[in-house]
Amino acid sequence: MSPDQILQGVRILAFTTGYAGPYAGRLLASYGAEVIKIESKKGGLDTFRHYGQHKDIDAAPRFIECNLGVRSLAVNLKHPTGARLIRELAGKSDAVLQNFRPRVLDKLGLGDDELRGSNPKLVIVKLPGFGSEGPKSNYGTWGFNLTAFSGITYLWNHPEQDRPIGSQGVYPDHLGFVMGPTLLVAALLNSRRSRKGVTIDLAQIESTAAVLGTTYLETSVNGDDPQPKGNHYETAAPHGCYRCQGEDRWCVISVRNDDEWRAFCRAVGRDELLKDARFADLPARLNHRLELDRIVEEWTQSRIAEDVMRDLQEAGVPAGVVQTGADLLRDPQLRHRNYFSPFANSLIGPFEIPRSGFMFRGATEDPLRLPNRLGSDNESILIDILGYDRATIESWRNEEVLT
Amino acid sequence: MGAFCGKMLRDLGMDVIKLEPPGGDPARREPPFAKDRENGEGSLRFAYLNAGKRSVTLDITQELGRKAFLELIGRSDVVLESFEPGYLAAHNLGYHDLIEKQKKLILVSVSGFGQDGPYAHYKTPDIVGNAMGGLLYISGDPTMTPCNPPETQSYYYASLFACYGVMLALWQRETRGIGAWIDTSIQASMALHEHVAFNYSAEGRVMKRAGSQHQHNAPANLFECKNGWIALFVTQNHWPLLLRIWDDHDPALDDPKWINSNLRRQHADYINAQVTTFTSRFLKEELAELFQKNGIPGLPVNSPSDFMKDPHILARGFFGTVRHPILGTFRQPGNCFMVDGARGGPMPAPLLGQHNDEILRGELGLSMNEALS
Repeated sequence: MSPDQILQGVRILAFTTGYAGPYAGRLLASYGAEVIKIESKKGGLDTFRHYGQHKDIDAAPRFIECNLGVRSLAVNLKHPTGARLIRELAGKSDAVLQNFRPRVLDKLGLGDDELRGSNPKLVIVKLPGFGSEGPKSNYGTWGFNLTAFSGITYLWNHPEQDRPIGSQGVYPDHLGFVMGPTLLVAALLNSRRSRKGVTIDLAQIESTAAVLGTTYLETSVNGDDPQPKGNHYETAAPHGCYRCQGEDRWCVISVRNDDEWRAFCRAVGRDELLKDARFADLPARLNHRLELDRIVEEWTQSRIAEDVMRDLQEAGVPAGVVQTGADLLRDPQLRHRNYFSPFANSLIGPFEIPRSGFMFRGATEDPLRLPNRLGSDNESILIDILGYDRATIESWRNEEVLT
Repeated sequence: MGAFCGKMLRDLGMDVIKLEPPGGDPARREPPFAKDRENGEGSLRFAYLNAGKRSVTLDITQELGRKAFLELIGRSDVVLESFEPGYLAAHNLGYHDLIEKQKKLILVSVSGFGQDGPYAHYKTPDIVGNAMGGLLYISGDPTMTPCNPPETQSYYYASLFACYGVMLALWQRETRGIGAWIDTSIQASMALHEHVAFNYSAEGRVMKRAGSQHQHNAPANLFECKNGWIALFVTQNHWPLLLRIWDDHDPALDDPKWINSNLRRQHADYINAQVTTFTSRFLKEELAELFQKNGIPGLPVNSPSDFMKDPHILARGFFGTVRHPILGTFRQPGNCFMVDGARGGPMPAPLLGQHNDEILRGELGLSMNEALS
């Protein structure tokens, strides 16, 4: 069986916007779930439809990237009929996925109990920034400021900097969009046995803090106030990111033990370093790591990053090119894994996109699918799933229930 | 590499048995350490990543260890491993050997680059995963060396994917009665980050380091306060709200052209300098509260200890207390999710071989002699 059919027969209603929620839906749709994304032109469109400057709300690249494979139902939730249709649909679904702020759906008559109504098995997974409860649960959050709040931004810096920098990115979204589907499928497995669906509250600030757990223990066990370490690592030297030939080209190198140190010295043609007392063992190398960094960079800066990686890895020394987006697209290892799913035609032209961090060995995966256009699944959902006729649907269209 | 996957599976309620060689998982010797506990059971990294697991020492290269391992396989649903690709197969314990013992087994492998391919045998400390996956290149200030994130983020991230793979495989086993071998790659996990691959493929755009400045928005950066920094992200919807609470702003900013986020981004140096004249009057916590009250998503740049003291985090009970025979009593994160309003954990990590007797003798019924050897 193809992995992209594993979740076949699982229907998920998605109230998602931005990055984490939609991408979570995409990762479920990629493995065969029927993900119905619910939006409305009446004040309920995914914000990424307006990201960039695209007149066609189906043609924003960021929206397409994050919503691959989802079906689209355009229904006005502020209209009583619209909210009723969603409750009916929830009765015929397995799960609800949402990343709205707390209580937004409750106010529309779509709280947990109302959604569960006649379907006690319904699983509900929420990914709010600060969680559903707590004094700051109504705070506005983005990946960027959640990273800052967790302590990650504070630590993601070179020690010699006089101000925090961290990253331009939205790391918390990436954590949430993998953990959300994981919890959703776990809850589906649970409700299959218990016949009872659970509600999962995945506060993105907490899934972010989960990847800083060791650091918090430094505070709680040792009473320390951890500081940025940059590219330094406590049990390897040299360890860092070194300039190579060409503009903004770099290779990372990590030498963790005496074997790797010997292999390194031989590979760079500096056997005499093996006799240098400053570098005799790991503690000595750690004490003289700045000198080592200079020695390493003297060697790397006149070499091509890919050659540095190959020569060192073949000698048994950990090394890796600091790859750009262009490098990823031509990376032989990723190509070997059939990592990119190709789209020959789309509203934004041809592109390729990463599939997933894992593959099912021995299985071949079909290409991913584009998101369906806004509202293009209205009829088939209302007719095939809920059993309404075309005339009723037409009247709802006129009453602006379906828009 | 895969330890956090095991922790997640434990947090989801599974019984996770950590199999360690007689000398212990090398992660037990990984920093940071509890003060004065660098030797033996003092690794805080180990304590966090192995919370709640049971520990058994087994030498799977020896006959008895191998026998116990296969017995355990017969009673298990999932095997998680992060050996160098091919290691288990070389000991006749690869996927095809294991499914002899357990037909519907789910084997989840975590490695730097995957089980085969040109880089499959490349060594992958965390920084190599971040570099080869594309996150490192865009991290840090453009005038400086790319900067690795704290802890071992590429291991964490691959572990999350591995855990999702396990859930999918369990669903597949449940609905179709078959097992699976999941091949998780640290590089492939990291390469999903921050649109790096997609932006290049769809738009020919190579993302570069931009400090803390967001690609498409300004002010979307870190801004100086009296006691630190605040992270701001101001879209076109927030811009008028910002001007409203900042009553002595330069009237030039009232020009409606500045509503356009792209224009503000193009003039980010100017916008950022202006905004700093406002933020620098406040304490970071007080300014975050003022922004949030007015609908603007600002949050302080916390140190880890600031975070641990935050009233919201305390109210949600994210940290709980664990007692560990060596490390003592301390606060540790519980589960990062709540089920029907309740949070599980935290639990202490096991000492080396803590559950040998319980599992080898009690559950597998091995004789005392076998268990001891």
